[in-house]
Amino acid sequence: MKKYVSLLLAGAMTAGMLSGCGSAFEDSTSTTGAAADATKAAQTETSPGAAGEETSAAKEGAAAGRNVIRIPEKKEFPTVDCQKNTEFYVVPLNIYDRLVECEVVDGVATIVPGLAKKWDISEDGLVYTFHLRDDVKFHNGSDFTADDVVYTIERMMDPDTSALNTDFFSMIKGANDMLNGQADHVEGAVAVDDYTVELTLDVPFGPFLANLATPSCSIYDRESTEAAGDQFGIDPAVTVGTGPFKMESWVLNDKITLVRNDDYFKGPAKVDGVELIQVPDENTQKLMYENGELDIVDLSSSTSQLAYFMGNDKYKDNLVTGPEAGNYFYAFNQSIKPMDDVRVRKAISMAIDRQTILDQMYNGAGHVVNSMLPDGVLGSYEAQEIPYDPEGAKALLAEAGYGDGCDLEIYQKTTDAADALAMNQVVQSMLSQVGINVTIKQMDEAAFLAERKEGNIGMTRAVWWADFNDPDNFLYTFFTEKNAKARSINHTNTDVFQWLEDARAMVDEEERMALYQKIDTTMVQEEVAVLPLYQMDHVVVVQDWIKDFHIPWNGWTDTSYYTVSIER
Amino acid sequence: MLKYIIKRILITIPVLVGVVFLIFVMLSVVPGDPLTVMMGEKVKVDVIERLSKTMHLNDPWYVQFAWYLWNALHGDFGTSYKLMRSVSSVIANAFPKTLMLAVTAAALSWVIGIPAGVISAVKKNSIIDHLFMGFALCGVSLPAFSVGMFLQNIFNGILPVSGFASPMHLILPALVLGWNAAGTIARLTRSSLLEVLEDDYIRTARAKGLAPVPVIVKHALKNSLLPVITMMAIQISSLLSGAVITETLFSIPGIGRLAVDAINGRDMPLLQGTVIFTTTVIIVGNLIADILYCVVDPRIRVEGGK
Repeated sequence: MKKYVSLLLAGAMTAGMLSGCGSAFEDSTSTTGAAADATKAAQTETSPGAAGEETSAAKEGAAAGRNVIRIPEKKEFPTVDCQKNTEFYVVPLNIYDRLVECEVVDGVATIVPGLAKKWDISEDGLVYTFHLRDDVKFHNGSDFTADDVVYTIERMMDPDTSALNTDFFSMIKGANDMLNGQADHVEGAVAVDDYTVELTLDVPFGPFLANLATPSCSIYDRESTEAAGDQFGIDPAVTVGTGPFKMESWVLNDKITLVRNDDYFKGPAKVDGVELIQVPDENTQKLMYENGELDIVDLSSSTSQLAYFMGNDKYKDNLVTGPEAGNYFYAFNQSIKPMDDVRVRKAISMAIDRQTILDQMYNGAGHVVNSMLPDGVLGSYEAQEIPYDPEGAKALLAEAGYGDGCDLEIYQKTTDAADALAMNQVVQSMLSQVGINVTIKQMDEAAFLAERKEGNIGMTRAVWWADFNDPDNFLYTFFTEKNAKARSINHTNTDVFQWLEDARAMVDEEERMALYQKIDTTMVQEEVAVLPLYQMDHVVVVQDWIKDFHIPWNGWTDTSYYTVSIER
Repeated sequence: MLKYIIKRILITIPVLVGVVFLIFVMLSVVPGDPLTVMMGEKVKVDVIERLSKTMHLNDPWYVQFAWYLWNALHGDFGTSYKLMRSVSSVIANAFPKTLMLAVTAAALSWVIGIPAGVISAVKKNSIIDHLFMGFALCGVSLPAFSVGMFLQNIFNGILPVSGFASPMHLILPALVLGWNAAGTIARLTRSSLLEVLEDDYIRTARAKGLAPVPVIVKHALKNSLLPVITMMAIQISSLLSGAVITETLFSIPGIGRLAVDAINGRDMPLLQGTVIFTTTVIIVGNLIADILYCVVDPRIRVEGGK
């Protein structure tokens, strides 16, 4: 009998624990005061008690109560302060604005007015004068003025901020002095009056405007951001911008909720809010989409589900595609044998059948490229085709003294998407046809990145998507001396090092583009520092009720949901 | 008894310091630093160099170790590089979720595992026995990700397959973990009970004419539970340190995911925090198990009292 009593007791204890934990569930949805109330209200509205109805209730609740777009995220964001992170831009793109924005106008990525309604550039390309809108308010109600722009720039360059994106403002006169602790202010950032701001550069910088349109250059409110200290970007209550959505709550590793900013200066967004839900597993994302619990799933980042959705007739009207302003490529490391010989690099390039890889592995969703500058990015041009010619490759290898074959290592991260390993294996077999014996080395992400930074990683597949619409964003990023080492390319073409600096300071746009084309041809066709592979189409699956969702100009996963609407 | 408990608690301190030390040594050997991971493809050498200095990432590991100990002694477990929040707040946020999952899974495994083991032992070699033991074997040998994905696919649309918004969300992940644990418990209960059922005193009890159920429950089961309790204690401590795969599959923001993310991000403060925390949980779990032995088995109590 005692046994049954203790069993009963155990049962009661478990029940007690579970009900006690009920409060943990509640806790998990409340972060800020007002937000918590709102969420609780939403909860009582949507969960009518019967637990069995939970999922359908949640579905209907989202439909009936709030028109919210639900999006999965695979990784948690460190902060939504985009001066301090280089990767997570979806929240910044939705809660902040920038002086100028990059949007697709008539099929071309164009710099359009943002918080600045117009701007003048001096003849010598040194002074940028921005005339700001006078009708913009931050989420906390304070007015947006020129002082906020100056504050944003100085906050980035303040060494105490520990910002990661200082290079976006470092061309402004005196910016580096402030970063090095030699000045209290950025000399070249001046608020002329409340709605005019003047930015003076050290030397002309062609990509400056495009540069200002990146998420990293989002404008913050001086008053509240100063008061928020290190909680800015972390605590939703003090993370303030001017954007179409406001941050409502953030449950770590669970969910970020954005709600519409009704006072947005371009008019309110069409949906009530956006929920960024942590779903690290790609198969779980698929199930939730099919179950109606997610509205938009980015298949280009959840690549393991790409074939399922693309191969299923049921979803053919739900797929939204658009070009990515980015190229996949193999980077060769010139300080590792046999890649130190340009003939070997050329031979490897000629032995890889890129079109077949694209067709077989990616349903042909993209096109083969022969340049580092993808279509749709300023300065892209028709480059000479890199031929697929295994016989020619063998001849080149023999000429380089590797007639009997050679060994080559291809590196990758264990955390790379599943297609990276599959592709490396295909390349491994293609290269074996010409006598190159490939070993694929997989490393954990942190170790890989650390070794790559030191210039020690062998041939590896990489991808770069445009941060801003300028060839500088591609060529400077890979081919300056420092960056070539940090990306384990290690080329030593000093002309190219110099040209990259020259191009930045050119005022004549035509000349500048011509120089970039020369740099690209030199590095791709002559040096064969990299083998450009393909430019992919970005593929996203959206529910029937999602309207007006477009792939952004750069083909990023992170995008603004300002224009998206829900119609059921 | 009290002296014994105090001694056990004091012993945890050098264990914890040793664990922290080992992790510092191990992570100082593998390449990688939090800033480089954080910047990923956007690697900017100048920024990394400058911030490594201000964040003291270039200090030798023993200096970092000393600073860590010093701060930890003052109750400051640092700020996570990856999540930019205090480590204690991140863990405090994650642990309740892991705790609920662990408790539910453990309760499930006991409720299913012990009766299944008892029935199997009593009906040894019957169809029921084979059926139960077959299920138990599956639970023990199938990996969590396959069971998890299998259950997700079957119950999609009926039960929530992701997230942590309500008790309903606990059912599938708890089943994944609970099935595994229940399998072990059922097999252990069965074999342990079979052994006891052979004993003389059981035959005596039966000979006295006691009904079969009281013989099994009151006499045999009680004496066969000791190894099962040991197993339960081990299981619950391992459940409390987080179930990485299950937490990832079902998007549960628990301790397991924190620890793995911390290793991948070379996030030393967060990793140390989770390790210290789970080590403490395991030590406390073992302590409770030891105390439970004394309660269940008077023989141990007598020896312990000597």
